[in-house]
Amino acid sequence: MRCARKAGSAVRGWLAKAGAMLLAASLALGSAALPGCAVQEPRDTVHLLVKVPRTGHDVVFDESIAYADQVISRMAEGFERSYDGADVDIEVEVFEQNQYDTAIEQSFDSGEAADMLYGDYFNMSTYIHTGRVVPLDDVVTDQVREDVFDYLWGLSTIGGHVYKMPYLARQNVLAYNKEMFRQAGLAGYIADGEISSWSLADWTHILDTLAANLPDGQYPMMMYAASSQGDTHIMTLLRSAGSSFFDETGHFDLSSPEGIAALTWLQGGVARGWYPPHSENLEIEDCSSLFRQGQLAIYMVNNASITRYGDTVGLVNFPGPGPEGCATSFVSGFEVFDNGDERKVQVAKDFLAYVYGNRELLSYAAGTLPASQAVAQAYSGDIPKFDLFLENRRNVVDFTGSNPDTRAVREVFYLHIHDLLMGTVSPEEAAALIDEECNRAIDAGVASSRLHG
Amino acid sequence: MIFSIATTLVIAAVCVYLVQLSSTVASNLMTTVDEISRHDVETIEGSLNNTYGRLSSVAKRMEVYDVETISEAQQQLNLEAASSELFNAIYLLDADGSLYSSTYVRLDADEHAYDELMADGREHFAMLYDDANGRLETTRESLIYGIHLHHMQIGGHDFVGMLARSDLSSVSAQLLIESFEGQGVSSVVNPQGYYIVNTSPATDLATRDNFYDVLEAGYIEDGMTMEDVRRNISEGKSFVINCVTADNQQLVMSFAPVRGTAWSFIMTVPTSVFAERFAPFIFMTACMLFAVVIVLMIMMAIIYRFMKSSVSANAEATARAEFLSNMSHEIRTPLNGIIGLNHLMERNLDDRIAMEGYVRKLGKAANYLLSLVNDILDVSKLRAGKVELDCRPFNLNSAIGNVCEMQREPMDERGISFDMQAADLPYPYLMGDEVRLSQVLMNILSNAVKFTPAGGTITMKASQHLHASGARAGLTISIADTGCGMTEEFRQHIFDAFAQERSSNDESQKGTGLGMSICHLLVEQMGGLLEVESELGEGSRFTVIVSLPLNPTKLAEMPYEPQTAAAASEAAPGPSEAAPRDRGMKLLVAEDNELNADIISSILAEEGYEVVLVADGQQAVDAFAASEEGSFSAVLMDAQMPVMDGYEAARAIRALDRVDARAVRIFACTASTFTEDRSRALESGMDDFLPKPLDVRLMLEKLGEIGRADG
Repeated sequence: MRCARKAGSAVRGWLAKAGAMLLAASLALGSAALPGCAVQEPRDTVHLLVKVPRTGHDVVFDESIAYADQVISRMAEGFERSYDGADVDIEVEVFEQNQYDTAIEQSFDSGEAADMLYGDYFNMSTYIHTGRVVPLDDVVTDQVREDVFDYLWGLSTIGGHVYKMPYLARQNVLAYNKEMFRQAGLAGYIADGEISSWSLADWTHILDTLAANLPDGQYPMMMYAASSQGDTHIMTLLRSAGSSFFDETGHFDLSSPEGIAALTWLQGGVARGWYPPHSENLEIEDCSSLFRQGQLAIYMVNNASITRYGDTVGLVNFPGPGPEGCATSFVSGFEVFDNGDERKVQVAKDFLAYVYGNRELLSYAAGTLPASQAVAQAYSGDIPKFDLFLENRRNVVDFTGSNPDTRAVREVFYLHIHDLLMGTVSPEEAAALIDEECNRAIDAGVASSRLHG
Repeated sequence: MIFSIATTLVIAAVCVYLVQLSSTVASNLMTTVDEISRHDVETIEGSLNNTYGRLSSVAKRMEVYDVETISEAQQQLNLEAASSELFNAIYLLDADGSLYSSTYVRLDADEHAYDELMADGREHFAMLYDDANGRLETTRESLIYGIHLHHMQIGGHDFVGMLARSDLSSVSAQLLIESFEGQGVSSVVNPQGYYIVNTSPATDLATRDNFYDVLEAGYIEDGMTMEDVRRNISEGKSFVINCVTADNQQLVMSFAPVRGTAWSFIMTVPTSVFAERFAPFIFMTACMLFAVVIVLMIMMAIIYRFMKSSVSANAEATARAEFLSNMSHEIRTPLNGIIGLNHLMERNLDDRIAMEGYVRKLGKAANYLLSLVNDILDVSKLRAGKVELDCRPFNLNSAIGNVCEMQREPMDERGISFDMQAADLPYPYLMGDEVRLSQVLMNILSNAVKFTPAGGTITMKASQHLHASGARAGLTISIADTGCGMTEEFRQHIFDAFAQERSSNDESQKGTGLGMSICHLLVEQMGGLLEVESELGEGSRFTVIVSLPLNPTKLAEMPYEPQTAAAASEAAPGPSEAAPRDRGMKLLVAEDNELNADIISSILAEEGYEVVLVADGQQAVDAFAASEEGSFSAVLMDAQMPVMDGYEAARAIRALDRVDARAVRIFACTASTFTEDRSRALESGMDDFLPKPLDVRLMLEKLGEIGRADG
């Protein structure tokens, strides 16, 4: 197993040569040193390149793990040692979160092409529709299917075939600053030990109250539209008036009355002082800083990040579409790419079969919501607020709508929210534009979609 | 030897030159690296100044805006940042230490240390974002710029500084400068080693690369340590290091401080670039030098050959001049005697006793002159390579025996003991030039006789060995004497023409000085060796070593028949013993030279022959044709004559339709004595050869043989 933390092709080239030389030398030495032994046919080494975006990772039982690639490397080491089908050399390459295009699509048909990808589903879905990602149905044994939470299979399946293997999930909800709520006279909404659900009226009241009562330099709720980062949370807020966001065909449906109502509610917050001024120019990181500094009352968290705030925050679902509100789920897992080498594809599948058959390796997801029910059950007491989030999974909504090119949609969505917050477009206009452009991106994705096999 | 030294020197010079060239090219490349570094540093400094200027413009606009509260100021900053392509966030630094962001984040004085950066009164700064100075809104790698503000008051707050934050990825791309066709890479690091500019920057603070980590993964050459590098960067020094990375790439790094910052600019160039850059120079220069060396060597070879041929020609010319000089001297000496004797004879015609002495001396001088001319001709022909050796069967024992017998009498006369150890050689039947081999042995033996005093001893030894091929036999004949010997100096020149050691005035020891030279040349032409050992006063030993082919057939059966002196004398009767039956033989003599014709006709007439004398070949043919058949017993035919030469005349006579035309004996009587002349005469139908000057005894002998045959 090898790990290159930068896109170091030169290093990899050198390592490949060195590896080949070492292999040749070891073979030569082996045959020379053991003249009495039966001569074994040398086996070709199967080289797998696993790419992993730089992602923080917490494990409740192992503080040495800080990044996801460390977990993948441990999996690779174990597989290399135990695999009998071939000599395997797995290289784990780390890339930056904003380098998905370079690391994956732009590397197709090159020596840098990924054989496997471990990443976030909403980034990975795009590649399934390139026809490069192979179905993993043969990896999903009955035992694996039973062990993984059902709701994750839905997010991993397209056209009846499993293309992504879920490893863990993070559930995003909103968090409120209890002290600021108290200062604003909203102590009645503070609830411990639960993920609250407020009606839209409650939301409006709470935000108005916060806007009215918070001192200068403090703001009621996050809002941002300077980039696509964090846009899924804004999308989720657009279900506040009962909109399902997507229609039954998976297309944006914000031009519906519920959608327009939500956009109107969102835009109205600007004038009512719910957000920091000129929030269209803010990034999610800015809101994160304001929340951390105690200058923002309501912000998003997930089941892993809430540990930063201790008991200072309470949890609440996003408003709508139903009375219990909603949450989003970010799933991380594996994809296998077909780069024209059937043997590599098979070894990659065998790798996944090895991981999903290994309880210890699956347990490295125990820091957030593990995909494995067995792991979840084993570590439920150690994972922060595990039971709350597990219970709340019934309110999780799919913010991708299973559209084939989520990333293309994200590139246009935030621009219209930016205009909406600036007031340069009306909610109706924004709804129409979002529906039109995002659905165009979806249709383009569908038109170009080509599933493997 | 000279060539080896010259070639070595040239190669050494070329090597030194190439080393110097490499050094010069490397130095020039380093100068180029320095220049590019300076240019890049200036670019970065210009970019920083431009950024400070933009930040100052924001500050000026803030003073123009109608902002009365900090919140309003932050909103204006928000708009400024939104409209800026460079800044992601802009901050106002309150005099009390509070930091207000365009994103509305407020950091109290105890939450950051950016105010300390302005505490020393500097007007501006730029630094790599490090949350150790206070956590800002981002986790991405960023640059923080700061400018000092003067008298900016908003909402009762006195602001002393304005800061701005830019994502490093976007700034770094602007500052990243490649050189050497992408192989040279610029980077900028801060004193802690974190990259401000790098080829593959991390986007996250927690995972950023550190220059020192990269350096420590490999090693630094030339004795510089990591601490030296850290100190030099901290002190803002310009310096160069050679290092090897963890993946074994050799790099040259040139460091230069970026003014106004604590940063160090690094130009990194793989060492291979240097090699690639000067490889064409080295190649072209090497080719050019190689060509020059080749041309020089060719020129030297030509000059050497020219000098050698010139020296050789000079030596040849000198030798020729010396030879001619010696020849002239040797010829003039007997001629002088002849002329002097002629003078004395004219004055003493009536003194019979004196005349007898003069005539005897005249004969000696003439004979000496004849032998001298013969020797000169031999030497000349041998030197010119025009002597063709015969390859005929002969009996070696017989040849050695004949030579010895011919010298037996002089040895007996001088009381010299002759020890012959050359009898019964195992391979006597050989192929070769018996005459020339005998000539060599005779010359050596006669010299031994000449220089050995009475009572001395001459020893002749001969031995043979069969070559591995079985077809040739090696022959070694040594002739040693107990004579006067020779000096070492003379021994070294004994084979030179006209070499004679003038240590003795004994007339009997004088010769032409060409004998040994002829022997040496003959043996050399036979493919053998003629060696001489000598000790002054003790004697000399000459050794002839030749290899001759065995006679495969006929001679192998021939018995060895040593020729006795008696037999030899029987075989060569003197002219006085010519048979009486010769008298009255009619001879046709063709000779165009009147004097020679007169002499020969007189001699023959005195011996009783009837002579018919003609002046050219045609007359000879006519005379023979007109004669009665069988009337001429022999024809003495000169070779070179007017009207018709002797060869043509011989052919014409042989062609006549009469019985005696084919039977008559025709003797070539010519001064052209070379082998080819002899062959030409025989080919033209002549029977024998009488060289001029005529050996009267030999001529009468041969004519006597005819008379006896006819009788």
